[in-house]
Amino acid sequence: MDKAAVTTVQDLVQPTIRATNVNIYYDDTHAIKDVNLDIPPKAVTALIGPSGCGKSTFLRSINRMNDTIPSCRMTGQITLYGDDIYDKKIDVVQLRARVGMVFQKPNPFPKSIYDNVAYGPRIHGLANSDADLDNIVFNSLQKSGLWDEVKDRLDTPGTALSGGQRQRLCIARTIAINPEVILMDEPCSALDPIATAIIEELITELKERFTIVIVTHSMQQAARVSQKTAFFHLGKILEFGDTSEIFTNPKVEKTKDYITGRYG
Amino acid sequence: MSQNHILSSFDDELNDLRAKVVKMGSLVEKQYKDSLRALKNKDKVLAEEVRKLDRLIDEMDRDIEKQAINMIALRSPVADDLRDIVSTIKISAGLERIGDYAKNLAKRVTVIRHKKTISVSSALIDQMVTQIISMISDVIDAYITRDIEKAIDVWRRDQTVDNLYNSLFREMLTYMMENPQYITPATHLLFIAKNIERAGDHATNIAELVYYINEGELLALKRPKDDSSNYADINIDS
Repeated sequence: MDKAAVTTVQDLVQPTIRATNVNIYYDDTHAIKDVNLDIPPKAVTALIGPSGCGKSTFLRSINRMNDTIPSCRMTGQITLYGDDIYDKKIDVVQLRARVGMVFQKPNPFPKSIYDNVAYGPRIHGLANSDADLDNIVFNSLQKSGLWDEVKDRLDTPGTALSGGQRQRLCIARTIAINPEVILMDEPCSALDPIATAIIEELITELKERFTIVIVTHSMQQAARVSQKTAFFHLGKILEFGDTSEIFTNPKVEKTKDYITGRYG
Repeated sequence: MSQNHILSSFDDELNDLRAKVVKMGSLVEKQYKDSLRALKNKDKVLAEEVRKLDRLIDEMDRDIEKQAINMIALRSPVADDLRDIVSTIKISAGLERIGDYAKNLAKRVTVIRHKKTISVSSALIDQMVTQIISMISDVIDAYITRDIEKAIDVWRRDQTVDNLYNSLFREMLTYMMENPQYITPATHLLFIAKNIERAGDHATNIAELVYYINEGELLALKRPKDDSSNYADINIDS
């Protein structure tokens, strides 16, 4: 069964991701300070804030990408559907299969379009046969809105695609392993407005099936695609709420100053 | 209608906003139909219904305004989208005001139903209301279909409403001079007619906004304005 497509009772009663008293340090730099955040299921949560506010650091802590940085340490707890993702028993590779990530710069593997998408399902053993794998590749490309553009050239290198197509290929690669959460770190900052609009439309469709957390410098993008917005400032979350509320009636002065372009 | 937006949820919101305006327009039309019927039949219950309906229309206006503000904040609309959304706030406010005049008409029914009937003027009021209903209906239609010709047509038809009002104004003065018993109903009918005349001005405003949404510039024609009652006088000695 396709677990991502089903809204369970669990979805309704508990957040997909819960961060409790999270602190993150790079050596002596205190990057994230006492962050508490509940990220709701099947919705887009945007993390906004000025450069250096910690939003990317926080995003990367959700699938333990920060583990790769030796100077980085974390206290507090982050859970994914109740599972402590920093628990010693957690297999980081498995965790990253549940929490996929799309980066700022589209980074397809130097392989064919087909293999880019098939890579994850292969290493995670998600396909029982070649036909099965074909199916996963087809579905993923279809959902990422790329299928019609690439169906006749699946064996050409993924790196040969345009910027927007490459980013959609990366999204296809991410959803091929059927994650529960997709993290996006400025997925459109390297794209032109039309490619951006296509990705934003895609994000809006994907939220029906996945929980999405997006870091963006574009406040308009946060406003357009997200349902929840968290405003980060100097490592803290100053305000978190419904996007429509944050952008029409922010409660915190700093949020207002930032979104209206008076500060930041 | 131009091409769809890549972000289809934006189109959904725009369509939703327009659907609300259409709904509001049809409710305002209903207010006029009912208040006219209440006036003719001296139906106090129906008049009360019109007043109740006005609360719903007020609520819809606030709802449309809120949604439009949200869309401006979240979608950062530009060009015709921006004109559309900003003008929709004004169109909704215009409809709300047109509705208020119907409510006022309904209120007066409760007073004049006991008074001496003035049949000829009721016929004029009838014509004015019928004209207003068709103007509202057509201008909302023009708004939805982006039909400038239709909008300009509505804009011109305000003249008819003004003419009817001027006739009625003179007639009421005559009645009042003839018999003081007519003063109360005639004054109320005058206010009713004046209100309908104002409703016509608001419908004309909406027609101008439809033009603005489409063309990006103001309707440059000279507005038809023929309320000569401002200068009306009665010379009792003559």
